[in-house]
Amino acid sequence: MARIVILGAGISGHTAALHLKRKLKNRHEIVVVSPNSNWNWIPSNIWVGVGKMSKNQVIFPLRPIYKRKGIEFRQAKATALWPEGDENSPQGAVDIVYTDPERLGDEERLTYDFLINATGPKLNFAATPGLGPDGNSLSVCTAQHAEETSKEFDKIVEALKRGERKTLVVGVGHGTCTCEGAAFEYTFNVEHELRERNVRDLAEVVYLTNEYDLGDFGVGGMQFAQRGFVTSSKMWTESLFRERNVRAILGAHVERVDPGVIYYEQLDGTKESLPFDFAMLLPPFRGADLKAFNSSGEDITSELFAPNGFLRVDADYTAKSYDSWTAEDWPKTYQSQSYENLFGIGIAFAPPHPISQPRTSPNGTLIAPAPPRTGMPSGVMGRIVAQSIADRLLSKSDAPLHKASMANMGAACIASAGASLKNGSAAAMTMYPIVPDFKRFPESGRDLKETTGEIGLGAHWTKLLLHYLFIYKAKARPLWFLIPE
Amino acid sequence: MDNSAIKIATAPLPTRKTLKSRKNIPFQIVRFAVFNIRMLKMVTRAHR
Ligand SMILES: Cc1cc2nc3c(=O)[nH]c(=O)nc-3n(C[C@H](O)[C@H](O)[C@H](O)COP(=O)(O)OP(=O)(O)OC[C@H]3O[C@@H](n4cnc5c(N)ncnc54)[C@H](O)[C@@H]3O)c2cc1C
Repeated sequence: MARIVILGAGISGHTAALHLKRKLKNRHEIVVVSPNSNWNWIPSNIWVGVGKMSKNQVIFPLRPIYKRKGIEFRQAKATALWPEGDENSPQGAVDIVYTDPERLGDEERLTYDFLINATGPKLNFAATPGLGPDGNSLSVCTAQHAEETSKEFDKIVEALKRGERKTLVVGVGHGTCTCEGAAFEYTFNVEHELRERNVRDLAEVVYLTNEYDLGDFGVGGMQFAQRGFVTSSKMWTESLFRERNVRAILGAHVERVDPGVIYYEQLDGTKESLPFDFAMLLPPFRGADLKAFNSSGEDITSELFAPNGFLRVDADYTAKSYDSWTAEDWPKTYQSQSYENLFGIGIAFAPPHPISQPRTSPNGTLIAPAPPRTGMPSGVMGRIVAQSIADRLLSKSDAPLHKASMANMGAACIASAGASLKNGSAAAMTMYPIVPDFKRFPESGRDLKETTGEIGLGAHWTKLLLHYLFIYKAKARPLWFLIPE
Repeated sequence: MDNSAIKIATAPLPTRKTLKSRKNIPFQIVRFAVFNIRMLKMVTRAHR
């Protein structure tokens, strides 16, 4: 009986666990290690952050699901990998530290036959002094953060009702952040909610981003064919900002967040400050900072992981200029180049290069949106790696691996711009492929027929539908596997 | 210099008809169906 250990029970890891169980039944052991006892549908944290949903509507406990499915669950945090085993055993192993209140702090070395690293992002608030809920700004990255943010938002609404003027800043808290789409969503949900609560007049809403242009979203923007013209996500994002009277600050690297003031540098090198009453700024992401050792105990972390803590997989990591990368550089199987029983999926794998053009200010500050790895590709990676491992366990040990490159994968992104069944709206986008491929699509890197965008109430319904569908799927309810990632 | 304010100020505004159509329930039911079919086609084809 083989043991497959999955580190992380987020979108990618949990998807991998469920698919593996479905394929392997009880023939092999599946162990999920995750520090949180709950699963979180992170996209809906946006709605928790404006009080449209409660925290409990976006999370559920994992233990009962894993118990029902026969998946082992360890509420613990991985700290180090021993891919060649240690002095006692040649079998690969991972060190874990329990966060489970009943075993808090206990350490264990867990052996594995296959290991999937799906540890997602480490929310690197420490990269910017004063950033984050322990500092002077807010976050919606976890359900808990979002709930706290919603309480602060309520206080601002109360002050606006009393006739006070308030500045609400939403955006990213560092020049190398990703997830601009989430910041965009939260901006327009805040703006929508202020209107719904009749206090929009006295509020200034500011979007503070590292993007060079609006509508970049870390993917270099999108181009669409619409009514005989090629239009861009830039054009219709700018239009939405104008329509909803939201100010934007572009190409910004936040240097510091003091109580009530954000200090930032812009691409032209100018340094500015922005006073605020409410600021939700997303942090930059790093990998989970796992260590790695060979069998003699030598540190091989830098061989397995990129400097940003993400796992190196089957991508081309050769240093190249932005102009010389190609879609082919992106990983296909998510297998580690060093160990064939080790995989990295979702946000945990190291992307080979940015998608959006990186830029540097005259002071040498890098202002470059990092490439997003959204829910849909993360789930697909979870599924294909589960299929690859199942094939190797059930048929041949060298069975070909399944492939799903982000340069050959489409994605649907629905950016909420206000939550209400009758008055809500969202921007619904599809893009194919996620990573532009200028060889296949010389015009814009993407298929103009498959890359689309529209704004409307129907898109909000889709976002809501996805909330219920993905929670249903993650709870492994009957026929869950028919819901595609 | 950050010229985002100029870019936003000169961006096209949706017409009243467009704004209405974005909230028009029957029209949005159709758009909902169209987008979901498109999304389903994308996930079933491109993700194989
Ligand atoms: C506010 C917000 C809104 C978003 N909205 C959207 C959206 O609308 N659409 C979309 O497609 N994407 C959205 N995303 C992105 C989406 O959430 C991610 O793409 C997705 O969660 C990535 O999945 P993952 O499995 O890689 O990471 P996660 O889902 O973050 O899961 C990581 C898991 O690893 C665990 N973990 C962490 N460290 C360790 C460790 N040391 N050992 C073991 N386990 C560990 C964590 O507890 C967690 O269970 C949003 C992100 C944010 C922050």
